[in-house]
Amino acid sequence: MSISVRDALGTFKKPAVISIIGLIGFIIGYVIDVTVFSDASPVQPINFSHRMHVSKNSIPCLHCHVYADKTPSAGVPGVSKCMGCHKVIATEHPEIQKLATYWEKREPIPWIKVHDVPDFVYFTHKRHVLAGLACQECHGPVENMDRVTRVSSLKMPWCVDCHTKKQVENGRDCWTCHK
Amino acid sequence: MGKMRDKLKQYLKPGYYEKYDYHWGMTIDLDRCTGCEACVVACQAENNLPIVGEKRFKERREIKWLRVERYWEGEYPNIKLRFIPMLCQHCDQAPCETPCPVAATYHNQDGLNTQIYNRCIGTRTCAVYCPYEVRYFNWFTYKWDEPLEQQLNPDVTVREKGVMEKCTFCIQRIRQAKDHAKDDGRRRVRDGEVTPACVQSCPTKAMVFGDLNDPNSRVSKMYKNPRGYKVLEELNTLPKIVYLKKADSDV
Amino acid sequence: MNKISRRDFLKFIGAGSIGAGAGLLYGKSTKKTVELLLPQVIPPEDYSPGIATWYNTICQQCGAGCGISVRTREGRAKKIEGNSNHPVNQGRLCAMGQAGLNALYNPDRIKSPLKRTGERGNNSFTEISWDEALTTLGSRLGNLKIQKHGDSVYLLTGGVRGHIDKLFATFMEAMGSDNYFHYDFTHPFALYEANRIIFGEEIIPYYDINNANYVLSFGADYLGTWISPVHYSLAYGHLRQGRGNQRGKCVQIEPRMSLTGANADEWITCLPGTEGLLAMGLAHVIMNDGGYTGSDQNEWMQAVTPYSPSVVSRQTGVEVRDITRLAHEFMKHQPGLAIGGGHTEGNTNAVASLTAINALNYLSGNLGKPGGIIFNPEPAFPNMSIKRQANYTQMLELITAMTNKGVDILLVHNTNPVFNLPPAAKFIEALHGVPLLVSLSSFMDETTALADLVLPTHTYLEAWGDDIPEPGVGFPIASISQPVVKPVYNTQSIGDIILALAHQIGGELPVALPWTQTEDYLKDSWKKIYQERTPVDATAGFDDFWKAALMSGVWGENKTRPLIKFDRLSNNQIQKIHVSQPSFAGDEKDYPFVLLPYLTQTFYDGRGANLPWLQELPDPMTSIVYSSWVELNPKTANRLGISEGDVLEVQSIAGTIRAPAFLYPAIRPDVIAMPIGQGHSHYGRYAQNRGVNPMTILAPEVDDTNGALAWSATRVRITKTEERIRIIKTDGVTRTLGRQILGNNSVHT
Repeated sequence: MSISVRDALGTFKKPAVISIIGLIGFIIGYVIDVTVFSDASPVQPINFSHRMHVSKNSIPCLHCHVYADKTPSAGVPGVSKCMGCHKVIATEHPEIQKLATYWEKREPIPWIKVHDVPDFVYFTHKRHVLAGLACQECHGPVENMDRVTRVSSLKMPWCVDCHTKKQVENGRDCWTCHK
Repeated sequence: MGKMRDKLKQYLKPGYYEKYDYHWGMTIDLDRCTGCEACVVACQAENNLPIVGEKRFKERREIKWLRVERYWEGEYPNIKLRFIPMLCQHCDQAPCETPCPVAATYHNQDGLNTQIYNRCIGTRTCAVYCPYEVRYFNWFTYKWDEPLEQQLNPDVTVREKGVMEKCTFCIQRIRQAKDHAKDDGRRRVRDGEVTPACVQSCPTKAMVFGDLNDPNSRVSKMYKNPRGYKVLEELNTLPKIVYLKKADSDV
Repeated sequence: MNKISRRDFLKFIGAGSIGAGAGLLYGKSTKKTVELLLPQVIPPEDYSPGIATWYNTICQQCGAGCGISVRTREGRAKKIEGNSNHPVNQGRLCAMGQAGLNALYNPDRIKSPLKRTGERGNNSFTEISWDEALTTLGSRLGNLKIQKHGDSVYLLTGGVRGHIDKLFATFMEAMGSDNYFHYDFTHPFALYEANRIIFGEEIIPYYDINNANYVLSFGADYLGTWISPVHYSLAYGHLRQGRGNQRGKCVQIEPRMSLTGANADEWITCLPGTEGLLAMGLAHVIMNDGGYTGSDQNEWMQAVTPYSPSVVSRQTGVEVRDITRLAHEFMKHQPGLAIGGGHTEGNTNAVASLTAINALNYLSGNLGKPGGIIFNPEPAFPNMSIKRQANYTQMLELITAMTNKGVDILLVHNTNPVFNLPPAAKFIEALHGVPLLVSLSSFMDETTALADLVLPTHTYLEAWGDDIPEPGVGFPIASISQPVVKPVYNTQSIGDIILALAHQIGGELPVALPWTQTEDYLKDSWKKIYQERTPVDATAGFDDFWKAALMSGVWGENKTRPLIKFDRLSNNQIQKIHVSQPSFAGDEKDYPFVLLPYLTQTFYDGRGANLPWLQELPDPMTSIVYSSWVELNPKTANRLGISEGDVLEVQSIAGTIRAPAFLYPAIRPDVIAMPIGQGHSHYGRYAQNRGVNPMTILAPEVDDTNGALAWSATRVRITKTEERIRIIKTDGVTRTLGRQILGNNSVHT
């Protein structure tokens, strides 16, 4: 009586194939999730295009994000600011009409955050902007994006790398960024 | 090998810094302090200290970064009560810093004894090592009854279960003062520009806070006061809070 | 190649899809929950995100009138600090003031107008609209007015001052009622009366502790709860270490050590209620040792004759040599101050005692000079509030009117007589005679719980108002209170409610009160200050003046204290100075201890008990939190076999309460003390059903002179019960045990 390795394997064949297929499925699922449903590029309530505003119409960043060089938060423009132009510009556009609906109802637009740091992090736009950093260094080429996509990880190593490279004063002390 | 020895030597030095950038310190004049505890509430408001509830007080799990201790002296009718505010001393040779397995507490270049919440894994070793007993552990994630949470200071993290916490000398205020200094194109923060919440509130102006590297700062001058002493000095922790002992009446 | 069976194929498909599903879920779990970035619809002008905006306004937690700066971020109040422009507190603030945020964001605030549905006191209310509330009340008031029964409307408030007080007064006058009273348990009735007797005016002068060399305090807890604690604390700090080598001395005379007693250089006890006698004893020594050489020397000599040190020593329990020494020290270390308060104010001889203490200032020549008593000049606008304070006897008159059905509508605002009057006054019983009790309050306190109609008011951080601090700071100032945040709930400011009611009622009321918003009313009232008083910059218009006042939170004329001279007392006045022995309710044999209820820094008269920060703030003297206790001397406790935590029954002729014992080393063995503030049956989750209210066993003893409640004049007996609880406190060992915690020279015991 000979023992065939092949036969022995044969009893495990089916479960092995099933688990391999399951694993491949898992990987495909995960990849689909992070690419298609990526939180780096969420679908926004209004299909706002930075490309249209910045590249085509040459509006500087600070025109709308007025606080970026003044306060820790860059500030997202108030609905009134949008309406300041869009009362007359492109009023027929379906996306602008969405905006007009928010304005009429006096409701804020529920933008989904693309760039967010945890609550235990102290981050200030002001210091970075005043230090001469271009917005694109962290936010990527927003001026070419129709939908904003996060290009940086915003994770601590990413912050520290830059702080080290630029020799930021106390840039590696925990209490510079952790509150 | 030589390099290693140099490195070791450097670490054996108090605070292992050649020179501190700032050297934040505080004096508390016990002759002015009345024990009114305004500072305690100021600290609670500024630093998002939780409202722990009666049950937790019973279990002695209250969290007060700054507490006022009281000591009776003598017996009735010749009896006196003495107060002493007790908070993190930001020791230059802090016993709490050495045992932390994850370096969540360390000495930074400003001479501050830090506590990094997201790094802390809650071994509580530091609290055991601290002779001043000013480290507090979050045994629970505390909730604020709505809408009390609207008061929370956005500049300070709300801590959750499993994290050690303690006085930071109001790091958020130090950070803000440095920010203002940079706005004005100054390299240094001016004396008196940083006032921790407790110092700000003190109704008798018993507390003085400032940079010990600056010989002209108010705190440096108060440091030289002959009434000055450090609590548990004999442990060689080099605490950075100098208490000025209560004076006797010359009348 | 084997064929795949149908069964296997389905298995593979199943495995594949379960795997993909799990992959999707896992991917999702690694991401953060979606956070929204909500823009303002119209960005407000007064703040930028991430940057704090500070508003200056007035603290109204007690009557001191400190200025506060409230730090707000994104429209929410974050922290209260003292306003550094304000001369009363100069940027500093006490624990109670800082806990004001807990009142603003209190989860147990009344969130909308309420109407009673069940029996009174059953706590069954239904929410109604503001329209309905104001119409209901307005029409009831209007009917009374038409029937010429306006005088049956009574208005009872706490210590409201400034133009809101005037608004109330105008309203009530237009209603045809002169029944507008204040009731504040902490109001120093005896001090005002004693000052009227000596200074001729019902005032509190400026006590210049700042420059004094000697502060002789008869029970006045000026670092804790007496009148203006933050201002006096600042002065105390200066007295101790602010003047180079010259360090002032503080002596505290009281039966139970207060916070001020703990900080004094010398703490002396005398028998309860004999502080005035001791003051007369000191005056006797001063007169006999030639310390006073005024022209009215003989009259004074006569007045003090019965109070020789030996007699006074017997009456007070203070040794003769201490009496002479104190008198000599007081005269030698000028300028000095003699002040009285605390339990001295709670005795049947309170007015007489405080008059005698005032006399010490007169004899030492401290009136109208730095380091002594400085008289305040005319305020910017008259402060009528003190005249409206109703003391216990006047409250009894109100209660009688209520019982006799003379009160048709009782409006109660910011005062809690159910909690702060002894039950002997029978306030609750008298409410049966009142058809409509309306509460204008932010919280469901004990009085509000009995109301028929509840109109929730803004807290002081949401409302407009103004104030003249009382006592003044030596020069005329006025401060403005402005809203620092939008209303948290569906409440209205008291000013707006009154104005709305005036318009609702009609007749001459809208003529007297033409405004619809408190802000406009306030601005118009301040125009008078602007016109009558020289503004800092006379060329600036009113709007600039108003803006500047709002920005700074306080308006003041100058910073120097004019010294107003004080004339001699008439001989008649001097002859009247006389202190009698105090009397107590209850026989000494049956009730061996005098009960000393005291105000605490955390709860004051009970109003702070609903603020969680204050509940969690260790009592400064005992470190106890969240409860009530009975303080007794360790010797007394030892004699009676009582130890800490034993629940005691404290019984007076008026009632019995139970509270755990706490051995307090600095209290006379013949008295016991209890903190006021706990024992609320309502008032929200933090205060409710916690501890006891010592007020409930007070006998209705009153002052011989002015009829104010003598709240320290009740005798009690204590009985140990079987029960024992652990007192919740933060202190462990309260002795240094030889450790060098307090510095080298401290006494080790």
